[in-house]
Amino acid sequence: MAQRLVKPKTNLGPGFWPVTAFIVVLSLVMAYFIETSAEPIGLKAAGDPAGSIDALFRFLGVVAAAIFNAVVIYTVYFGIVFRMPKNAPPNTIGVQIHDAPVLEFWWTAIPTILVVILAIYSTKIWVDLQNTQGDVLTVEAIGYQFGFAFRYPKLKEPVVNELHLQLNEPTTIHITSRDVLHGFWLPEFRQKADMVPGLVNTIRITPNAVGEFRIICSEFCGAAHGRMIGKVVVQNQQDFARWFSKQGGTQGRTGGGIAISAGKADAGQKLFGEKCSACHSVGAFEQKQVGPGLGKLFNDPAHPKLVNGTDVTPQDVARLIHDGFQGDMGVMPSAQVNALSNADIANLVAYLAGLSKK
Amino acid sequence: MATLAPGVQTGPYHAVLDHIHPEPTSFIRKYIFSIDHKIIGIQYMITGAVFFIISGLLAEIIRTQLLTPNGLLVRPDTYNSIYSMHGSSMVWFVVIPLLTGAFGNFVMPLQIGARDVAFPWLNLVAFWIFPVAGVILFSSFLVGAPDAGWTEYPPISLMGPPGTNLWCIAVFMIGISSTMTGINFLVTILKMRAPGMTLTRMPLFVWAQFATTPLSFIATTALGGALAALFIERVFGVPFYDPKRGGSPLLWQHMFWFYSHPAVYIMIIPGFGIISEVLPTFARKPIFGYKMIAFSSVAIALLSFSVWAHHMFTSGMVPWLQLPFMIITMLIAIPTGVKIFSWMATLWGGAIRWKTPALYAAGFIITFTYGGLTGFFLAAVPLDYHEHGTYFVVAHLHYVLYGGSIMSLFAGAYYWWPKMSGRMYNETLGRIQFWMVFIGFNCTFTPLHWLGLLGMPRRVPNYDPSYQFWNVFASVSSYVMALGTLLFFYILVDSFRNGKKAGPNPWGARTLEWMIASPPPYYNFKKIPAVLAAPYDFGNPLPYIGLDAADGAVEATPTHSSHPVPTH
Repeated sequence: MAQRLVKPKTNLGPGFWPVTAFIVVLSLVMAYFIETSAEPIGLKAAGDPAGSIDALFRFLGVVAAAIFNAVVIYTVYFGIVFRMPKNAPPNTIGVQIHDAPVLEFWWTAIPTILVVILAIYSTKIWVDLQNTQGDVLTVEAIGYQFGFAFRYPKLKEPVVNELHLQLNEPTTIHITSRDVLHGFWLPEFRQKADMVPGLVNTIRITPNAVGEFRIICSEFCGAAHGRMIGKVVVQNQQDFARWFSKQGGTQGRTGGGIAISAGKADAGQKLFGEKCSACHSVGAFEQKQVGPGLGKLFNDPAHPKLVNGTDVTPQDVARLIHDGFQGDMGVMPSAQVNALSNADIANLVAYLAGLSKK
Repeated sequence: MATLAPGVQTGPYHAVLDHIHPEPTSFIRKYIFSIDHKIIGIQYMITGAVFFIISGLLAEIIRTQLLTPNGLLVRPDTYNSIYSMHGSSMVWFVVIPLLTGAFGNFVMPLQIGARDVAFPWLNLVAFWIFPVAGVILFSSFLVGAPDAGWTEYPPISLMGPPGTNLWCIAVFMIGISSTMTGINFLVTILKMRAPGMTLTRMPLFVWAQFATTPLSFIATTALGGALAALFIERVFGVPFYDPKRGGSPLLWQHMFWFYSHPAVYIMIIPGFGIISEVLPTFARKPIFGYKMIAFSSVAIALLSFSVWAHHMFTSGMVPWLQLPFMIITMLIAIPTGVKIFSWMATLWGGAIRWKTPALYAAGFIITFTYGGLTGFFLAAVPLDYHEHGTYFVVAHLHYVLYGGSIMSLFAGAYYWWPKMSGRMYNETLGRIQFWMVFIGFNCTFTPLHWLGLLGMPRRVPNYDPSYQFWNVFASVSSYVMALGTLLFFYILVDSFRNGKKAGPNPWGARTLEWMIASPPPYYNFKKIPAVLAAPYDFGNPLPYIGLDAADGAVEATPTHSSHPVPTH
């Protein structure tokens, strides 16, 4: 009853080892070219951490190229060598093999080892990025529809769409948004962080080449998203200093000069709802959202100091709102990021002082 | 030979299974509001094909727009709506309904030897939600279609046009449909397999559907919650996501990706199943490593629940959380690699008949491997800082979703077309169609990787003039792909008019759906067959008994003494 079955030969196939050798040689040659390429992603680097990220790209590229070569070449080769011959009877069947536990062990074990190596290498670079020193210059980048504003510690006015940096100066950029999500992408530095309203993200870079580089919005933000492009201008020390003084840079950073007594509590209450309530409640200190509750700010024996270590006086609170805060406890954007005028700050202080009296 | 394997029940149990309902006679009950899984599967297929054509046209508008650096065709806000609708429609109204709704419905009950799914009426409701939701989605073009991408990140989606509300409703509805189908299939597979079909005798397509079901009904609930909140915030002003009023934009991202990453596997695991059916049939070999392929699907499904935040490495979550998400994402490469290697080993030593489904399966191996490897570049957090939100991501996701899901859909369409229609298609045209799609696809999406790395962000209607060459190259290639897709539909029409009769088993396959007439009769199996062995042993006689010759079965009872031989 059973039909006669025509079984083909069961060797590895003609030319299996030459094809394997070809895959190995091709992968090694590609590995050589990837590892020695100065710009593996085809884009020049303008500073750290681009170098270590390019190195990771090269390493992944070598592994990926080898795997891809093997999969494509073996698939095509098996497809040609093991095709059904034209004149074969229709009941021809292939080699009736179900599994090969040793082979399966190795093709599970080797990728597992590769994954572990790649994960460790990626983690190492990630840790390096987290530990980067970047606080010689600190800049705030605020995204809005459709541009970037940059605030420097000693400049009164924001600079629009141009981020001036000093050559070889480690720089920390605090990133947030005024309206919707934006992306802050510095392709030549291989760094990116989303600009999220109500949240401050941080990237650290050290430019090592003078010139102009791109800032690209990488998160959809509206009709003109494609036109939201700025530039990084990396300058040497003299040029940077000249540009900085031309912007009206002054020494010292204060919250002084705010006329606190002119503050109106009801205007402050409205402002608080718009600008502060995303992170602060008006309950007790413990009713923490992102930041502490501020209902008893001026009258809280358990917390006699502000987060920056100063006393809880109206002037100190105004300064904290003006300067913002960044430390282990968290991050609060400055008044410039929050788009608060000095009069707004005074109104907020009046409102908070009123709350504490209740 | 003819002794029943352990676990095969006969006797009274069989008598219950042999009860057959009469076929409905009215046109409406037979073809419109049918409860027959085969008709519902074909309804899914036709509806999905309509949305596929619409979404494809939207994609061609995108590529035509990008022929010139300043945008050739439409205004930026229109362009934003077009790619948002393209993505939403392809994910929720094409790939998921076609893989589970169409092929799952038509093939899975046949493969397990059942007469229908466990809950036929639920199946009917789940299907009819689908075209209604699709009409709601596309009617948003009348009032201003959503324009913040298929991900609809707030706060920008809170300000989006009124159609965004319709988008929420439509996707919510399709989520309900998907949940119903998931539960239905889970029960069907667990409770309705033919006697003797143990879990490890199930065809791998059934295993794939089985692994997908929990994703459908667990992950989809998260999406439903997120969509409801977005709708409530947009319509009634309850601030879930608006940071100005105490909401959190990241909340949406977490909820959305908690669904949408498992959804990636809802869109690919059934495709894995199709490839695992096609390769052994055309290589005329047992699938290599059956259990590893079956269990790796389950492993991928489980892991897929703990990787969602790899879409959010630049969003601003706690930095240390990035590491576990990176490592688990990388781990998914291991079960996926096991599958790829097993498929290659299935080709090895075969007697391969390079029919169109087999070409698509081999093409799938190559393109999906490419997409998997670029996924590794995105999983590595430091590299993701550069690649996130760029055309590199667009290229990667099309390699896994088109090069993976759509290629497997084409493979399945050619493979089961003779079973559905009873007719063969034109093989020469099929092969030409494969090469048009395969070459067109690779030439469209490979250059987009480079553009992304060089600095082209996604979702832009205009770009730097230095990127024009590769954009034009990609657009022209996409037209080849579009022509290939048109040719596919011509091949189906041609098959109806000129196709040869397929007969029950044109490919000489060994799974149960090929043991009965093409197209299958209303009741599928006059007598429920008993299953004696695993599905892909071409060297062994057929592993089924009890099929009735009156159904046009390949062999009259007893069938277990003969081998299937391809007739086409």
